Amino acid sequence: MASSSSSPSFDPRVLKEPQLMPGSPGNWRRYFTFNTDAKVIGIQYIAVALLFLLVGGLLAMIMRGELITPPADLVDPTVYNGLYTLHGTVMLFLFLFPILNGFNNLLIPPMIGAPDMAFPRLNALAFWLFPVFGVILMASFLVPGGPSGSGWWAYPPLSTQNPLGHAINGQLLWILAVALSGISSIMGAVNFCTTILRMRAPGMGWFKMPIFCWTALAAQMIQLMGLPVLTAGAVMLLFDLSFGTSFFKPEGGGDPMLYQHFFWFYSHPAVYVMVLPIFGVFSELFPVYARKPLFGYHVVAIASFAITGLSLIVWVHHMFYSGTPQWMRNVFMVTTMLIAVPTGIKVFAWIATLWRGSIRLSTPMLFCLAGLFNFIFAGITGVMLATVPVDIHVGNTYFVVGHFHYVIFNTITFGVFAAIYHWFPKFTGRMYYEGLGKLHFVLTFIGSTLNFLPMHWAGLMGMPRRVASYDPEFASANVLASLGAFLLGVATIPFLLNIVSSLVRGPKAPPNPWNAIGLEWLLPSPPPAENFEDDVPTVISGPYGYGLGRPLVEDQERFEHRALEA
Amino acid sequence: MTSLSQPAGTPAVTSPNGTEQEPNASPGHGHGSGHGNGPGHGHGAHADHTMTGFVIFLASESLIFLALFVGYAVFKSSAPLWLPPGVEGLEVRDPLINTVVLVSSSLVIWLAERALHRQRLGEFRAWWLLTMAMGTYFVVGQAIEWQHLPFGLASGVFGASFYLLTGFHGLHVVTGLALMALFLVRSLRPGLVLPEGKGVMAVSLFWHFVDVIWVVLFVLTYVWQRR
Amino acid sequence: MTSTGRRQPSPGPSLVLVAVGLGLDALASWTMARQAYHWLPVQASTAAPYVDNLFALETGIGTFILVGCSAVIAWTLLFNRAPKYDLDDGDPIEGNLTLEIIWTLIPLLVVLAIAWHTIGINQTLATLGGKQRLASAAPGATDSLPLSTGSLPRATDSTEIGPIQVIGRQWSWEFIYPNGVHSSELHLPVDRPIHFRLISMDVLHGFYIPAFRLKQDLIPGSVIDYRLTPSREGRYRLRDSMFSGAYFASNQTDVVVETGADFEAWLAAAERAPLRPSFNAASDLWQQRLAKGNRGWATVPPAPPPEVNVSLDPQNPHEA
Repeated sequence: MASSSSSPSFDPRVLKEPQLMPGSPGNWRRYFTFNTDAKVIGIQYIAVALLFLLVGGLLAMIMRGELITPPADLVDPTVYNGLYTLHGTVMLFLFLFPILNGFNNLLIPPMIGAPDMAFPRLNALAFWLFPVFGVILMASFLVPGGPSGSGWWAYPPLSTQNPLGHAINGQLLWILAVALSGISSIMGAVNFCTTILRMRAPGMGWFKMPIFCWTALAAQMIQLMGLPVLTAGAVMLLFDLSFGTSFFKPEGGGDPMLYQHFFWFYSHPAVYVMVLPIFGVFSELFPVYARKPLFGYHVVAIASFAITGLSLIVWVHHMFYSGTPQWMRNVFMVTTMLIAVPTGIKVFAWIATLWRGSIRLSTPMLFCLAGLFNFIFAGITGVMLATVPVDIHVGNTYFVVGHFHYVIFNTITFGVFAAIYHWFPKFTGRMYYEGLGKLHFVLTFIGSTLNFLPMHWAGLMGMPRRVASYDPEFASANVLASLGAFLLGVATIPFLLNIVSSLVRGPKAPPNPWNAIGLEWLLPSPPPAENFEDDVPTVISGPYGYGLGRPLVEDQERFEHRALEA
Repeated sequence: MTSLSQPAGTPAVTSPNGTEQEPNASPGHGHGSGHGNGPGHGHGAHADHTMTGFVIFLASESLIFLALFVGYAVFKSSAPLWLPPGVEGLEVRDPLINTVVLVSSSLVIWLAERALHRQRLGEFRAWWLLTMAMGTYFVVGQAIEWQHLPFGLASGVFGASFYLLTGFHGLHVVTGLALMALFLVRSLRPGLVLPEGKGVMAVSLFWHFVDVIWVVLFVLTYVWQRR
Repeated sequence: MTSTGRRQPSPGPSLVLVAVGLGLDALASWTMARQAYHWLPVQASTAAPYVDNLFALETGIGTFILVGCSAVIAWTLLFNRAPKYDLDDGDPIEGNLTLEIIWTLIPLLVVLAIAWHTIGINQTLATLGGKQRLASAAPGATDSLPLSTGSLPRATDSTEIGPIQVIGRQWSWEFIYPNGVHSSELHLPVDRPIHFRLISMDVLHGFYIPAFRLKQDLIPGSVIDYRLTPSREGRYRLRDSMFSGAYFASNQTDVVVETGADFEAWLAAAERAPLRPSFNAASDLWQQRLAKGNRGWATVPPAPPPEVNVSLDPQNPHEA
């Protein structure tokens, strides 16, 4: 990459700054080191997470291959159970949570004008746990007996059966991997919260902070409150599995239901940990591509914390048909219904942001629009699931699988793609190819709709989830779903091609290719190691001031000029 | 709307192979950043972040204990068979002595902190060492208790809960002792614990946390006994 | 808070358009709500109409929201697109307090109304399919059935059938009738309240009959009291709905709802039939796996098929 001439063709600052800069020599090596620069760590998280997206996707392809016909004729049912368990676990803990942490690392410091995270070494440590627990989880495929086959919930007594009686078994490795993931997440949460609370630029009060940072803070606070409870439950499960205790074994006086409470007390808020940053992404992107202020910015900001609060008191809706008394089901039905309100506020705010805007349908915007549409649908099925009688019928069926994939894939992952395309130029210094992006979008939208919409019907007709085989009446829904899944597999190809070729030979990106308003767009593409370094702008306006003719920071032209010069 | 902003913290200076200098160890290292409001905080701003981060971490950690306490309470209230056959209950006297020692050590560590703030290193080390001694007494005392107990980890849900709860707490006490040992050694080089003593403050806070957790645990396990 | 100084269009045509749009939206909602019944299996219990009606109501409301929001989004995509090289900003509207209040209050009222209505349904269904969790069975008492459940309340309805013990295992269903008949196929008389006792011998299972719209998990260490009333004759599927391990998907059987006379006849014939091992898909699959060298990932072996007077016949077609 470096020319061999005597005068270097790259910016000399590169030699002391560890970052991806076009033309700098050997800079790719720093992505494999214990590097404390948040932008390096962010890219590390995203790259490894995308790798695991492929792993989880491959597992899904095999699953849908099994499910395209009624009998379990592709793989043994025990293999299917291991596959679906690891599919869920990989997608949640090795793809979604890490990639969101990657976005936090990349986006939060520049957006608030900070040079880095509050605790850079803790940041790097949190990242390096990720490949470790990733390897542990993948290694579970190789131990005798295979990986965990008890679902990503790992409900006892099934998960503590340990049929082969080995001390090292797939379930143990699963618990260890998830526990390490929790530790890494808590480290990250402490870091992100401290950074947002303490390191904002001068003039950036709470209501001048971008929504992405609001939602990131709201999400990370959930992590801090929920993960400890999951950890307690996981430790008890581990003890039951490996040390002969009876926390959840009825023959020893234990109660399997208590595990469910511990598990869901975290795992329900966990879905808001995943979706809140995507709400933040939508809130950032709609104003840019509609060239309009975010409608009701203050209300949208507060709604993030309303969601945080409510998310902690709804968990029993995962246990309506378990062993919960009627009064408990009623209470949690009401709280679950309430969470639709702040969520609805955000949805309406985004739609109102589009209204009378000047809309440009670039790839990030396409993903946001489709994500919004899908989310409205997912929210509606969510409210259906909140009502106890309907949940009793469709709980643990493919209706739920359809619902949550509409959230996790058709909304959240769409948002992830939108964010990748939108901020790719900023953090890599290259423009991506718009044609490939649009192709990726079309294939993904069709594939995901075909994959997950028929599942709702199958569930309503009574097809249980997690089955390797099913009665023939569900065949048509499953064939459609499998075809959609294979199309999604194909859709990954233009995405990967785009990323790789743009990184290598995409056109150089200007500081602000989208003409967006935000502190990160006042930096060069890519930003230098410490962002604004010691010349931090003073924020004088709220964010999203499109069409309002007011500068974001004092002396804005100087910063824009400096970014162009770099 | 009042601005709650602060100037940007001290930048982390990195060298090409990715290592990082200790931000706290180089005084005068942070030139004040940020125009407009706010003086240059230098490395002081960074130290503030440490306490913020540590408090956030402790709040989160306390929730693990809260979850374990809730689990314990639920098991105790609802298990059809609680105490294993042949076990009458927990003997309270020796654990109570251990409790008194541990809780008093909180006072002692406070004295150590106070001495440090008055720059009296010798006195600091004395109180600090005493705290460690009292903490060690507690851990050893509890270990001896464990040895004498007539039930084990696999003795039904009572045995499991008891050992998990006290063991997890014990782990925290041992961690606290290890951190105190680290800072005792560091105190031999004054520059490492003075002038603000943030690290010592953090360890001290951790020790108080461990004590409060024990008090709740003690009440839950030894005081509230179910036959 | 204000738009730029453009000439405001007169409100008349817009209001008509909105009214027409709302009307079409309502029509779509009504249609989808009617359609929703077709997405569900046949209604075979007294609980089913309540569930279906609630689902149809939610489908209607949901359609209204989805179509309404999508129409607005589509409108903006049609009429608010930036011309190709246009870099101008849109209308700098920052918010509108009235709108915010409206779209906070209306959803709040709607969800609370649905919740209130559903609590009422829960009350009704509780009468139809109530349950209580009981103290756990004595450890290790897997063979001493029926279990001692002295604290259970007595039946208040004299027409009630039962208690029928429902035993879930990895991976089979066994039903034990009050007269001692063991069966792996559940026969029930139509239009009579049935009282079940749900018992698991190993791990969590789920007692799920889609045609009844009812589901209740079986929790090891507990005996769960459950009640329902079948309302339509036919043969329906009973599926294990709570993941229970390797052959979980095969843990299915049939529920036969028949007239009172047929039911009594079946029960009498069953009493005379000898006990024999039930058909069990899981055991068959396990034997096939062993024959091929036990290749596959770890699982406990299936529990032996229950000894029954009447066995499930997998050849019988089911309705739902």
